[in-house]
Amino acid sequence: MGNLLRVAWLLAAAAAAQVGAAPLRVEQVAPGVYVHIGQHKDFDDGYDGDIANIGFVIGTDAVAVIDTGGSYAVGMALKEALRNITRLPIRYVINTHGHPDHVFGNAAFIDADADKGSAQPQLIGHAMLPQAMASRSDAYLRNLKKQLGSAAEKSTLIAPRQTVRHRLTIDLGQRKLELTAWPNAHTNNDLTVFDVTTGTLWTGDLLFIERTPAIDGTVEGWLSAIDELKNVKAVVTVPGHGPVTRDKNGALARQRAYLATLLQDVRSSIRQGTDMTGTMATAAASERTRWQLFDVVNRRNVNAIYPALEWE
Amino acid sequence: MKNRLQGARCVNVFFSLATLALSAFPLQASAQGEDKPWAALQKSYFPGKKLEAAPFVRLTAPSRAASGDQVPFAFSIDHPMTAKQFIKSVTVFVDANPVPLTAVFHFNPQSGKAEISTRIRFESDSPVHVVAESNDGRLYVNAITVKASGGCSGPAPGENVAMAGAGKMKMALDGPFKRGDVNKARLLIKHPMYTGLQRDLSTHGFRPALFIDKIDVTYNGKPVMTADTSIGISENPSIQFGFLADQPGALQVVIRDNQGATFRQSLDVGG
Repeated sequence: MGNLLRVAWLLAAAAAAQVGAAPLRVEQVAPGVYVHIGQHKDFDDGYDGDIANIGFVIGTDAVAVIDTGGSYAVGMALKEALRNITRLPIRYVINTHGHPDHVFGNAAFIDADADKGSAQPQLIGHAMLPQAMASRSDAYLRNLKKQLGSAAEKSTLIAPRQTVRHRLTIDLGQRKLELTAWPNAHTNNDLTVFDVTTGTLWTGDLLFIERTPAIDGTVEGWLSAIDELKNVKAVVTVPGHGPVTRDKNGALARQRAYLATLLQDVRSSIRQGTDMTGTMATAAASERTRWQLFDVVNRRNVNAIYPALEWE
Repeated sequence: MKNRLQGARCVNVFFSLATLALSAFPLQASAQGEDKPWAALQKSYFPGKKLEAAPFVRLTAPSRAASGDQVPFAFSIDHPMTAKQFIKSVTVFVDANPVPLTAVFHFNPQSGKAEISTRIRFESDSPVHVVAESNDGRLYVNAITVKASGGCSGPAPGENVAMAGAGKMKMALDGPFKRGDVNKARLLIKHPMYTGLQRDLSTHGFRPALFIDKIDVTYNGKPVMTADTSIGISENPSIQFGFLADQPGALQVVIRDNQGATFRQSLDVGG
C-alpha cells in the first residue's frame, strides 16, 4: 500500500510537472491534518505567492481546505498535494482572513462562474470578509500582477457566500471543525478553526511565529484576542506564518510582547511630538532582533497605527 | 530596505539607515521629460509656461511606502520669504492618482518658510511633482517617486465611525515658542476624507466623496497659509506648517468641506 501510494505520488508528480504544477510539500502535523509551511518573504522582495501556512483537514466523508495561498498556481499546487493523499470530496474552503497571501488560491477550488447548482466546495469566511475583499480587490490584483507577472494568471478574489458572525461548526464525517469569528484584531475579518478530534488550532494570522506580526486591524483588539486564545486548549497550533508549535501560549506571549512594545513606543512618540517618519525608525526597536523582516514590517505597522493613535 | 544588521547595539545605525531610505532622491529633470502623465498635467495646468528644474524645492517621502493610505510627504523650499521676493504657492501632484491634483498651498512672507509636512494617498506607484511659484511668476519644479498602492480605493471606515467628531481639530506648536522667528505648528483634523472611489458593499456602489477642500490659517488676523485640498490628502489630515511670530498671539484655523460645512480652531501661543 505504501509503495503503491508512493508510485501514485510519483506518477502524479510527473504528470503535474508537465503542466508546471508540482504539488506543494505538506506535512501531517496531527492525524488527518496537513500543513504547508510558507516562506518568510516580503511582498516587495522575491514574493512568489507562497508565504502563508495553508493546508487541509480530512474527515471520513469530506475534506476542508484552510486557506488557499497567494495565487491560483499555489492553490492548484495545494490541491495537487491534497489529491495525492485523498480522493474524498473537498466540501469546504475556509478563509482565515482576506489577505492576498491566504486567499488568492480560492480560484483553484471554486469556479466563480459555475452554475449555482453545480457541486462546488462551500467557501466560508468571516462576516466582514466580503466587504474587505470588495474594497481591496482592485489594488490587491494589480499588486499581484506586478509581483508575480504571468504566475498571477487566473488568480481572482472570490468572496465567501457563507459567512460566520460568531461561531459555526462543520462536520467532515467523524470530525468536527469549530469556526470562530473574532472582533477587529489582525484584520477586521479574522476566523480561527479548531479541530476537536486532534486538538489542532488554526489561528490564521492571529498568530505569527518568527515573522514580524503585521497589523491591519487594531493593536488593542489583537492584544485581547491573544488573551482569549491563551484559553483555547490546543495540542497543536498552526500559526498563519512560521512553524507549527505545541507551545501556543509561549508563541502568543512572544507576539504579545512585540505588539505591546510597539503600542507603548508609538504612544510615547506621539506624546513627545515625534512625527510618524521619526517614529517609524525607532518604535519597538528593542524587539528588532527577535523577528524576521522586522525593518520592513515594523515600519508598516507604525504607519498603520500612528494616525489613529494621534486621536486618543 | 534590506538591512541585515543584527544586535541591539545597532539601533543608532538602524535609525540613520532608515532615515536615509526615507529621503529618496529627487528625480532629475531629464527623467521627467519622458513621463507621459506628467507631460499631460503640465500641459493642462501650466500651458505655455516654462518650469525650471529646482533642487531647492526639497522633497521628502519614502521610496517605498508602507501602504498607500498614509504616506508621509514633505516639501521645504529654500527660497527667500521677504516682501520683495517670496514663494506664493506650491502645487502638489501625485501623477498616477485618479485625481492627481492633491493640494495647492498658498504662502506669503508671514509664512516664514514655504514648508509643509503632511500625509497623502497613492493609488499606485507614482511620481509626485511639486511646482512652486514665486511672486514674480517664475515656476520651479521638482519630483520624487514613491512606491505604494491602494490609498484612494482602499477600505473606508463606516459612516458611523468616520463621521463621529468629523471636523474636530487639534493644534499644537512643534517645540517652544520662538518670538521673532519661524514657529512650526501641527494641525490634526478628524475627517474621513472620502474619495468617492471607495466601494460600499451595502449600496453596491461607491461612497460619495466628502473631503476638506479649504484650510485657512491666520496669526493675529494676518494670513499665514491657505490650502486648497483634495481627496489625495489622507484620512484625518495632519498638516505641519510654519508661521512668523513677531509677538505672542492667536493662531486661528478655519476649514471647509466640499459640502460647505465649516469648522474652527484657535491656539494662543507665546502668552
